Amino acid sequence: MPGHDDTSPPASRAADDRETPHRLSRRSVLRGAAGAGVAGIAATALAGAAVPAFAATARPPAGAARGAESGTTHEDTAEQVVVHVRDARSGEIDVFRGTSQTRVRDPELAARLLRASR
Amino acid sequence: MSSHREAPEISKDPVADSTDVYAFVSPDKPGTVTLIANYIPLQEPAGGPNFYEFGDDVLYEIHVDNDGDGKSDITYQFRFETKLTTPDSFLYNTGPIGSLSDPSWNSKQFYKVTRVDKSGSHVLARKLACPPCNVGVLSTPDYEAKLGRPAVHSLGSHGKVFAGQRAEEFYVDLGSIFDLGNLRPLEQFNVFGKAHGLKSAPGVNASNRLNVHSIALQVPISRLTEKGRPTIGVWTSASRQRARVHAGADTASFVSGPFTQVSRLGNPLFNEVIVPLGDKDHWNRVRPADDKQFAKYVAHPELAGLLPVLYPGAFPHLAALDKARTARADLEAILLTGIPSGIIKGFTNFTGTVQADMLRLNTSIPPTPASSKKFSILGLIGGDPAGFPNGRRVTDDVVTIELRAIAGATVPLVDPKYVVDAVVANVTDGLTGTSVKNQPLTAFPYLGVPYDGYHNPS
Repeated sequence: MPGHDDTSPPASRAADDRETPHRLSRRSVLRGAAGAGVAGIAATALAGAAVPAFAATARPPAGAARGAESGTTHEDTAEQVVVHVRDARSGEIDVFRGTSQTRVRDPELAARLLRASR
Repeated sequence: MSSHREAPEISKDPVADSTDVYAFVSPDKPGTVTLIANYIPLQEPAGGPNFYEFGDDVLYEIHVDNDGDGKSDITYQFRFETKLTTPDSFLYNTGPIGSLSDPSWNSKQFYKVTRVDKSGSHVLARKLACPPCNVGVLSTPDYEAKLGRPAVHSLGSHGKVFAGQRAEEFYVDLGSIFDLGNLRPLEQFNVFGKAHGLKSAPGVNASNRLNVHSIALQVPISRLTEKGRPTIGVWTSASRQRARVHAGADTASFVSGPFTQVSRLGNPLFNEVIVPLGDKDHWNRVRPADDKQFAKYVAHPELAGLLPVLYPGAFPHLAALDKARTARADLEAILLTGIPSGIIKGFTNFTGTVQADMLRLNTSIPPTPASSKKFSILGLIGGDPAGFPNGRRVTDDVVTIELRAIAGATVPLVDPKYVVDAVVANVTDGLTGTSVKNQPLTAFPYLGVPYDGYHNPS
């Protein structure tokens, strides 16, 4: 069996404490982050500078209509999402949701998140 | 300590800090193996009002490798959930706790047990009750009869389980050992002890009258072993979800992402004494199957080089071994592969050539009755093959065993010409199982009744 660091646990490890990773698009990452209202960002390779948490600039939207406006359901946004920009230059981003982790490579998205954090 | 606060990161996360692992053929049920993983070190019994609990956000696991590859073939997972009976009270209990369902016990903890094996993931039990901490004579009267024993739960054909507070049975003279390698019985020979004019003195058990939290399983041997392979490798791990956000005043903190290992333990003292400070956190994050990278520390343990310096003239043969940079194949076998057959007559706990820190138990070796002359807390080096490093029993003196092994006692296993230094037979921190006030139980879960806060306030 694999260790605990696996981002894609095989079927033999499919305990209820470990879920199969989701595939998230760039759009859903941004929606999830905005809808959840809290996203953490850490940049590890942008001129060596630490980037402040996104939380302060991404307050929860007022009212319950936000999900409908952005085309997501309440179920989509009820769970909080954490985004970790591992390497801003290559655009390597980890998205944590529930017990899943999805790694995406999207320099443009990474750049947008960093801009939003400033 | 065995593995209490043994690495920088985990020392700051006691709820996930594994302290000891035990694995032995159950003396009163020899068709079963008992596996125990302890967490939350050095518990002061009077530590209220928020007494000790397992982490609801921690995934605790006990792993069994039964084919020698250092990877888990069978994993028992434990997830805990705390429930408050009276959230508007600050008290742990509002009256005497007379049972596991007593409404006067405010902060109850329950858990789920899951077995993961090659056939998949199987929930063995849900909503099992932990016992409360042993608060004191007024709050938890008749602790073991009303609270401890009822917290032993049947898992049907999978055996039985217990999770909750127990007395710390691991004994060690911590105050002396980490004071420049001093051993009180030999401190007149310690280079610094000699300078201070110290005389030989009995050991002092630093972990006496302290508690731990234990997860204990008693499992039929047939559920753990593969046909023709009686030796299993055992370790525990604790994992946390990768992300934790302290979201501020208006949002509760939350965790997210897959679980990742933050603590593990197989052989006692491995990470504590063998692995250097700069690698300890890394060691806690990897699997036994990846332990080859740490084999150099086993082959050339720092402590083996320190002993001749700390005790000048006492370890001449060990000093020569160190000077020759002789790799310690004896320690590599004991800690990383198990001892192959043909080295000790009638004994083996070899699991294969994969180097992995696991507690290796040959389940075909019957337990030695405690009343038998053959029984020795020094285990294999004391002539008792049912003890450490063939698994580990609750009373085994693993500190003395490992000190002596590192000091050269086990070198003749691989080099019959090697002459063990005479002092090695006297190397000890001066403690035995009797150094523990609350003695182990004779039946599952074996660890003693936890110390109560009223009688053990400091």
